[in-house]
Amino acid sequence: MKQNSERKITVEDLLRLKRAERPKAEFWATFEAEIRSKQLSAIVNKRPWWHGLSQAAAVVSRYQMPFGAAAALAVTWAGVHYYSPPSVSAVHSVAVTPRAAASAPTAALAATPSAPVALSTARSGEVTRVAAREDLPARDAVVLATASHITKAPVEATLDGLSKSPFAEGISVSLADYREPQAEVARRSVFGSDRDFESALAPARQAPSDPLARMDPAQERRSRLLAPALPAYSPASQRALASDWMRAKASSDERMYESMDRSSSDRMLVGFRF
Amino acid sequence: MNASKALEKTLVASPERKLEADADLDIVRKVQGGDVAAFDKLINKYRERVLGIIYNMTSNREDAADLAQDAFIKAFQSINRFQGQSSFFTWLYRIAVNSTVTHLRKNRLRSFFSLEAVREDDPVSKELVDALTDKTGVGRDAFVRELQEKLNDAMQKLSIKHRTVVTLFEIDGLSHQEIADVMDCSVGTVRSRLHYAKQLLKAELQPYLSK
Repeated sequence: MKQNSERKITVEDLLRLKRAERPKAEFWATFEAEIRSKQLSAIVNKRPWWHGLSQAAAVVSRYQMPFGAAAALAVTWAGVHYYSPPSVSAVHSVAVTPRAAASAPTAALAATPSAPVALSTARSGEVTRVAAREDLPARDAVVLATASHITKAPVEATLDGLSKSPFAEGISVSLADYREPQAEVARRSVFGSDRDFESALAPARQAPSDPLARMDPAQERRSRLLAPALPAYSPASQRALASDWMRAKASSDERMYESMDRSSSDRMLVGFRF
Repeated sequence: MNASKALEKTLVASPERKLEADADLDIVRKVQGGDVAAFDKLINKYRERVLGIIYNMTSNREDAADLAQDAFIKAFQSINRFQGQSSFFTWLYRIAVNSTVTHLRKNRLRSFFSLEAVREDDPVSKELVDALTDKTGVGRDAFVRELQEKLNDAMQKLSIKHRTVVTLFEIDGLSHQEIADVMDCSVGTVRSRLHYAKQLLKAELQPYLSK
């Protein structure tokens, strides 16, 4: 490569050379003809439908603040105007006991004609339906229980409005069951107050028969600790049992010591197994 | 032209450009009013520059011609959306640059280079070639061809954004502000890209530069 030493060549000079790369005159004739045909086809051919969307989007983007504010106002007005809270009435919720919740990994609401309120439970993938217990009030509702939590879903329903539905039929069947004289427990909340229920059930109660329930824990602990040392603290049966056990233990100890003496004289190892 | 004027020219658009922009806006208003033939004036005025930008970005003559035509057609179709907030040539350049960038990204793996002939009727380029070669003219054409290929290779090694900045500033002569308008970025970004691109070009074209 030969360079003229009088002139300093820079990158800008080399790039300037690219400015001189120009097409010849005949190229522009072809260029003009092609652009003319493309221009005509652009006029004749309809533009695709999404070009209209892009133009609308361009208009919207130009006035995005007013459009946004108007949209927010419209949504707010529609929400206030058309929103009405659900008018469900009067079905009480019944809490599922933690034990029931633990035994029901998945529970779903089910309503059948024979069981107005049913609790569907699922354990290990198998869905089982558990009919509402008889001691649950008929107007009491439904609790959805899942494995992780218990969701109380107080579904309120008017009995008058549900007179024709299977749900209402189920309620009436359950109410008939509750009216039977044996269903004393059911009367508690359906036909009477808690006070009536207590007075009705009081004669039927029995005294607790478990002796442990009446035992003083301190006294029991004292007798248990002192029984080996002071036989007077142990009951007669326990004392007899303890003496038998002591005698058996002493005889077995004597046998063991004798065997150890014999084995040591024979210089043999003895292994103890427990 | 002293150094301060040259620096000012690189930073902001020249007054001639502003006069051009006003004249372009009049033509655009005519086209928007239904005078479709008025658009030919804009095509004739900017076709060489638009083609030059695209050619120097793609290094392919045929692709450059197609993309330049498409850029003019897009501008013609969208002329009613031109509000006159920027100059027409900035708007047209943006269309051309965006079309070219999209084309280059689509055809990243396909690159065929074809060279235009260097017109030595330009005194600056003639002087440069004379400085680079022996004045006797022996092997001159072969050297110019080789230099063109090296320049194209060096340009293609730049990223698309850096190549665009170099093309718009060094070859088309736009100011930093105009390039920022065309590329929709800040002036600082333009300067940073320009500096980085020149460093890379210097490294690539080192054998042709004076020590």
